[in-house]
Amino acid sequence: MSSRGSLMFLLHAHLPYVNHPEDSAFLEENWFFEAVVETYVPLISVLERLAAEGIRPGVTISISPTLGAMMENEALEDKLGLYVGSRLELLEKELERAQNEPALLKTVKLYQKLYGDAAGLLHKYSGDLITPLKALQHAGQIEIIITSATHAVLPLLTRPEAIRAQLAAAAEDYEDRFNRKPSGFWLPECAYEPRLNSYLKLSGFNYTFTESHAVDSAPNGVYSPYRTSNGVGLFARDAASSREVWSSQTGYPGDPAYREFYRDLGYDGDYEYLRPYFGQDGIRRPLGLKYHCITGSGTDLSAKQYYDPDAALARVEAHASDFLAKRLKQTEDHYAARGSGPLIVSCYDAELFGHWWFEGPAFLEAVIRKIRAERLPLQFVTPSEYLNSCQEPQEIAPGISSWGENGYFDPWVNESNDFIYPAVYAATDKMIETANRFRNQDLSLLSARALNQAARETLLSQSSDWAFLIYIGSHAEYAKGRLEAHAANAIRLLGEVIEKRVDEQALAVLEKRNNVFPRLDFRVFSSTSKF
Amino acid sequence: MPELSTSLPPEDRLVLLPKNPGTFFAFWQFSASRAESFRLASFAPEIELRLFYAEDKTPASSHKAEWQAGRAYLPVPERGGNCEAALYALRNGAWERLLASNQAAAPAAAGMAEDRAYASLEFHKKVLS
Repeated sequence: MSSRGSLMFLLHAHLPYVNHPEDSAFLEENWFFEAVVETYVPLISVLERLAAEGIRPGVTISISPTLGAMMENEALEDKLGLYVGSRLELLEKELERAQNEPALLKTVKLYQKLYGDAAGLLHKYSGDLITPLKALQHAGQIEIIITSATHAVLPLLTRPEAIRAQLAAAAEDYEDRFNRKPSGFWLPECAYEPRLNSYLKLSGFNYTFTESHAVDSAPNGVYSPYRTSNGVGLFARDAASSREVWSSQTGYPGDPAYREFYRDLGYDGDYEYLRPYFGQDGIRRPLGLKYHCITGSGTDLSAKQYYDPDAALARVEAHASDFLAKRLKQTEDHYAARGSGPLIVSCYDAELFGHWWFEGPAFLEAVIRKIRAERLPLQFVTPSEYLNSCQEPQEIAPGISSWGENGYFDPWVNESNDFIYPAVYAATDKMIETANRFRNQDLSLLSARALNQAARETLLSQSSDWAFLIYIGSHAEYAKGRLEAHAANAIRLLGEVIEKRVDEQALAVLEKRNNVFPRLDFRVFSSTSKF
Repeated sequence: MPELSTSLPPEDRLVLLPKNPGTFFAFWQFSASRAESFRLASFAPEIELRLFYAEDKTPASSHKAEWQAGRAYLPVPERGGNCEAALYALRNGAWERLLASNQAAAPAAAGMAEDRAYASLEFHKKVLS
């Protein structure tokens, strides 16, 4: 059956850059390891499996430069290997422990397969998860786009030089990683303001995404692409399809049969038995082995029932059918009203699929398979495909917006985290001023290294993650420390260059730890940047 | 109120950031000499943050703050749109303009509240915990 509507499924994959080579088991590095095992490997496996069966997934994935750098970091790859190995070792013991509990045993075996699959895929690609993603894009199965260098909320950067640097560093990073120029740009936190149009265009991006209320006054609502006055393509997020997945009240991930995220063996199990799997500090921490289901929205953690993988998979099938039925209804309603098929743009954080919503990758696979198997009049499209095949989009002037709480910038600017901005701006202003001062000078190798590292530190200080973690009170001290350290590092390095007294040893430590954007040139921050 | 653990270089700076359709966030710092003038009471301790419409520079609103507060939330003026801020201090009975900010655009209120649902991963993290 020919398609009446198009679905654009965008997964935004991002983690802040966390790399602590000085520590063998740094707690926050587990964010990356958990996401690899539960999200990135399962998603890659789904995409590869579909492609191998001749079912083109056609999804779009945004990979942040900081996540891409972690995926290619050999020290982190080594630690990831140890992490997966230790979980497989623990799961062997868990198999023994669960022998007389069939309900538990089923889930232990599921985890054994999950970690075994992760070990297998990592081995297949020598620990580098960029390789399969690059191959999928090369084969036309998916489209990969980029976001800003360190996931800065761009409307909160007032200096043009800072925005240009975030975009230019990202574009260069993408080209290095994926051997082609990026076409699409995911605005961090979907945060848009009109000032960004020119920077996106000048950085060579063809299209971006906005929140649905940014196109309130647009003639076709969220169901068409648009373009800015300078020709940047715009896709607006469809709130309805997002809500079904995201909503804490009505979203699929809250189903009682699905895995409970917050109950973890690391807090449940016998301390001495688990001690080898905690960090050097011996403090209990999540181990990623979660054996219970949500059970009920108000159920106390201690009263959760064991997870049943078969029951959960049955709900996945039902939710995939429900999701598609609602998209078909949207399509039919739009077709009846306008005589044309809509484009439905569904955007999600990738880490929702698998890490937070354990069954998410299976849901995605079921949705794609059902379109094919049930011959539904829907098709998955990527942004470039759609723009290449549709009529010239209408020009609109979208409103300032984000996909954050209340729709604007409240999560990143509020009384819990606003104290960070003087530090971010002190580093940014100093970086711009110093880049301008030295941009045309012959520099010693050491001074150039220090300036380039100062540029990395400045970019890292601008990450949206620090403000957000402080706001939600999760790892807030770590976030505050990272923000302060990056800003202080940048200011100190710039001062050392100006005073011609660069501490090479200290510089080398920073180059090893904060080693994003290896080709970054500090001139990216200059007011007349060539980038 | 949370603060930075480390001190920053003393520099003159006034920055205006958008927060939501009703609120701007402003923060400011002073150079060492300006801070000294406040400490020595050459300037009165209470400063004024004045918002102007950027397109025609007409005054929009004015707000008092202590010079050491370093930050304030300012209501978006009635006309909204692009604004800029200036920081004034009182010396010998006369207001002096000490700092000027960047331009910042206030978002226009748009969309249904339920359609502005918090969509990022961290929302999930927060509400399900």
